[in-house]
Amino acid sequence: MIDSKICQDLSDNELVALSHEDSRYFYCLMKRYEEKLANYVHRLTYLPDDDVADVVQNSFIQAYSHLNDCDCDLKFSSWLYRIVHNQAINFLKKSKRSLKINIDDSDDEFVEWLVSDENIEKETIRKYFNENVRAILEKLKPDYQEVLLLKFFEEKDYQEISDILQKPMGTVATLLSRAKIQFKEIYEKENKY
Amino acid sequence: MKKKTSISDKTLKLIEQKQIKLIPKWEFVARNWGLWLAFGISLMAGILGTGLSWFGLIDKIITPYWWILVAIIFLILAYFIFEKTKKAYRRPQWQVALMLMVGGLVIGVGLFKIGWANRIDKNLEKNFPYYRQIVPMKLEVWNNPGEGYLSGVIVKINGANNWEIEDFDGKRWTIFGDNILIRGRALIEIGQEIKIIGELRGNSSFEAEEIRPWSGINQTNLKEN
Repeated sequence: MIDSKICQDLSDNELVALSHEDSRYFYCLMKRYEEKLANYVHRLTYLPDDDVADVVQNSFIQAYSHLNDCDCDLKFSSWLYRIVHNQAINFLKKSKRSLKINIDDSDDEFVEWLVSDENIEKETIRKYFNENVRAILEKLKPDYQEVLLLKFFEEKDYQEISDILQKPMGTVATLLSRAKIQFKEIYEKENKY
Repeated sequence: MKKKTSISDKTLKLIEQKQIKLIPKWEFVARNWGLWLAFGISLMAGILGTGLSWFGLIDKIITPYWWILVAIIFLILAYFIFEKTKKAYRRPQWQVALMLMVGGLVIGVGLFKIGWANRIDKNLEKNFPYYRQIVPMKLEVWNNPGEGYLSGVIVKINGANNWEIEDFDGKRWTIFGDNILIRGRALIEIGQEIKIIGELRGNSSFEAEEIRPWSGINQTNLKEN
């Protein structure tokens, strides 16, 4: 094994370059992203732990064998997230399951974003979203769920989301804005009766 | 997530056990270049199709349908190939489609304006024997002796290089010439419908350089109209 202290001092791109010669440097990259990616797959798919581990492992193997295709213009993490995202979606398709976002807790930034342009009942809406965010998220279109997850729970910026989902930045912004509208529609519908 | 800390160890072990290797860079480079090459070829074919369609539609010398089909098919193909390239996702699909359509049309019309469409059509006719059967010339073109195009039915044979035809307006013409090139399945027999390329030599005389059979489907339809 490579000394973990050596790995800590190296950037992703430096580790990628070294991994071409020695797969143990790729181990450093895997260690760096393992937990983040497992959490991402878990949130994105709601799969059991063993399946999540399989998805992440297959993604690492694909990433390793395709290192020469690594697009250095974008962040290594975005490239890796893209592979994991595609592997996860393929896994869901193969096992005939649909995308089902799983978040354990609400996110303050997310709720703040949802209520940002509300003038009335701001506190009521905030309280409602804090308590029901998971249930509402599940009712959104899969496209909306994906961008919301990346933006607020994986804390990716627009460029990163664009690179991960392979959609133009404008489309990412549109999806976020539509997700917000649908979120509020669901809120209004459920609070009508 | 009980086991997630061990994913890296398991993966490294698997990489070493199965001796998983990096796919060589040249494979990705070749794929990338292949895609761009296919895109370039499709785009050029699309532009060529647009230029020649325009030539057919405006100058009305050739029937444009085949070239319209070529333009549509290759511009659509170029779009799908472009969408497979690495950075294509950064541009909205409608923008790519619009750029290809406008670009194809502008450059295609440019080809027509500078006379290249006409030149390409003639070159294709010269080099590909069946081209004119796929992209026939329109009837009105072959009823234009002043421009060197004449067509009709052979009504009398006076000699080896001298015969008479009746054009589709009913006018009689004397056809003559030396070293006349007879193309394809053209037969010099009474009753045969032919097309002649040559020069007008008088009110009802035409010097032939080349004889072709009257074979295009579109031409037959036009003639009946």
